[in-house]
Amino acid sequence: MRIPSHFSNRSDGHDSKMTPMIDVVFLLLVFFVWTASFQEIEYVLPAELTPSAGTTSEPVNPAPEQQDFDPVVIIVQMRNGQPSWLVNDAPASSIERVRQTLATVAQLQQEIPVIVDPHEDVPLGHVIDVYDAARLVGCSKVQFAAPEKPS
Amino acid sequence: MTPMIDIVFLLIIFFLVSSHLAKQESLLPLPLPSADSGDTPQNSLGTRITVNVTAGGELRLGSNVVGVDELERRLKHETTRAGQDIEVRLRTDRSVSYRHVSPVLAACARTGIWNITFSVFRSTEAPR
Repeated sequence: MRIPSHFSNRSDGHDSKMTPMIDVVFLLLVFFVWTASFQEIEYVLPAELTPSAGTTSEPVNPAPEQQDFDPVVIIVQMRNGQPSWLVNDAPASSIERVRQTLATVAQLQQEIPVIVDPHEDVPLGHVIDVYDAARLVGCSKVQFAAPEKPS
Repeated sequence: MTPMIDIVFLLIIFFLVSSHLAKQESLLPLPLPSADSGDTPQNSLGTRITVNVTAGGELRLGSNVVGVDELERRLKHETTRAGQDIEVRLRTDRSVSYRHVSPVLAACARTGIWNITFSVFRSTEAPR
């Protein structure tokens, strides 16, 4: 039996209207999946520099207010593959301990300069941990020691 | 009308995707250090130079591997050209030793660049 022509035409017309929409929807889907960022968001830590003690030939002028306080110098070094810390020559057992010490100092004086002086073999991740700890407890002047002449 | 709309959509998507890829190209994928106190980067109008330090200690300026001397020359050139303070953004592998990073800091200090920022991931978002 022959199918009525008007029925057949209506079906074709319906298909042809759907196709572009499906095209567009697929394209949009692909676009949003593609651009959905698989990349992690990066943040920034502003850093300041200070010439490393004993290695500088000409000191950079410190801000006048920084001259009023003795800085807290945090030395980071590696021992048996693990980081260890010296806060003003006093050993700290963990990064948490460093944070507590800095928190105590920051409670007394937030303007006190903190100098992070890592040894050369320390991975930067541990250096940033100390810097981060100082910023988190509210120390506003945290500086990195950098040797004047690279070794 | 429909083919034209299809083509227009395709063109729009092509340009959006290509611009997205171009943006990604400038960012060398690195396992950055993690920190909780990181700030959201500001889109400043000033000159910014991004220095990548890979796990092997290579310094990369754009796609070029450079030495410390070359980096210092470029920093001086950019500072002179900009005529103002420039920002140096350091993107470093978290496992790289400080000995590979300190020469960059020293070069910045010698050039008179004090606006230095480290790129970090938030601790909660950092990939392991």
